[in-house]
Amino acid sequence: MNNNRQEFLKRWKETIDIPPQTIGPFTPIYKEVTKRLKVMPLPMVVAVSVAIVGLVVYLFGSSITKLVSLLQRGF
Amino acid sequence: MSDHMIIAFYACVRTLIGIVTRPYETYRHVINDGSYWELVPLTVIIGSYLGVASLVKTAAFRPYMLTKQFMVLTFAVLITFGLVVGLLWFIGKLIGGKGTIRGVILGWAYTLIPTVCWFYITSLLYVLIPPPRTNSPLGILFSALFLLFSSILFFWKVMLSYLTVRFGLKLDLPRISIIFFVVIPMVVFYGIGMYRLGIFKIPFI
Repeated sequence: MNNNRQEFLKRWKETIDIPPQTIGPFTPIYKEVTKRLKVMPLPMVVAVSVAIVGLVVYLFGSSITKLVSLLQRGF
Repeated sequence: MSDHMIIAFYACVRTLIGIVTRPYETYRHVINDGSYWELVPLTVIIGSYLGVASLVKTAAFRPYMLTKQFMVLTFAVLITFGLVVGLLWFIGKLIGGKGTIRGVILGWAYTLIPTVCWFYITSLLYVLIPPPRTNSPLGILFSALFLLFSSILFFWKVMLSYLTVRFGLKLDLPRISIIFFVVIPMVVFYGIGMYRLGIFKIPFI
C-alpha cells in the first residue's frame, strides 16, 4: 500500500515537474500528434518519411540521385 | 567500479531499446535518474564508428595516418558535443530553464545514437556501393531508399533533441522553439567551418 502511494507520488511529481504544453488553438492537434509519438513512434515516423520522400521523388525525379551522391560523401 | 560499469551497460541497453519503443517515458527516466556512467558505453559505440570512419577516409592501412585521422575525428566530435550542450544549457538558462547540466549531457548523448547510425551505415554504403548514383531505375530506387532511411533517422533525432530540452531544461514549446531558433544557425555556421577544415562534410551533431 505504502509502495503504491510512493510510486503514485513519484509519478505525480514527475508530471507536475514540467510546464504543460499549450499552443493556443493548435493545442488539441499538438496533443493528438504527441500522443502517437510517445509510444512506438516508428510507424508514424516511417509514414511521414515515406510521404516526404514520395513527394521529393515526384518533384525532382531522377535528380535525387545527385543529392544522394552528395549525402553519401557526407560522412 | 565494475559494478557501476555493469549497471551502466544494462541501463544503456535498456535506454537504447526505450528510445525506439517509448522515447517519452525513457527520456524522462534518463534525465531524472541517469548517471554519467552511461556515457561510457555510448563513447564505445561512437568510438567504434570513428575507427571505421578513419579506415574509410584514410583508405590506406598506415598506422600513423589512421591514428591521426582518428584523433582529428574524436577531437571534432568532442568539441561539437561540448558546443551543442553548452549552447543548449546557456540559452536554456537565459530563458528560464530549470534543469540540470547532467540531464542535458545525458539527453544529448543519447541523441547521438541516430547520428551514429546514419554515419555508420553511410560509411559502410560508401564502401559497398560507392557514389555517384546513376539515373538507372536501380540508382533511383537506391536513392529513394537512402533518403527514406535518412529521413527516418532525422525525425528520430529531432524527437530526441526536443525531449532533451523538454526534460533536461523543463521548458515549454515556445521556449524550446526559441532555443532551436538560436542554436540551429550557430550550428550551421560551425558545420561550414568543419567542412572548410575538411573534418566532416556533414557535422556530427
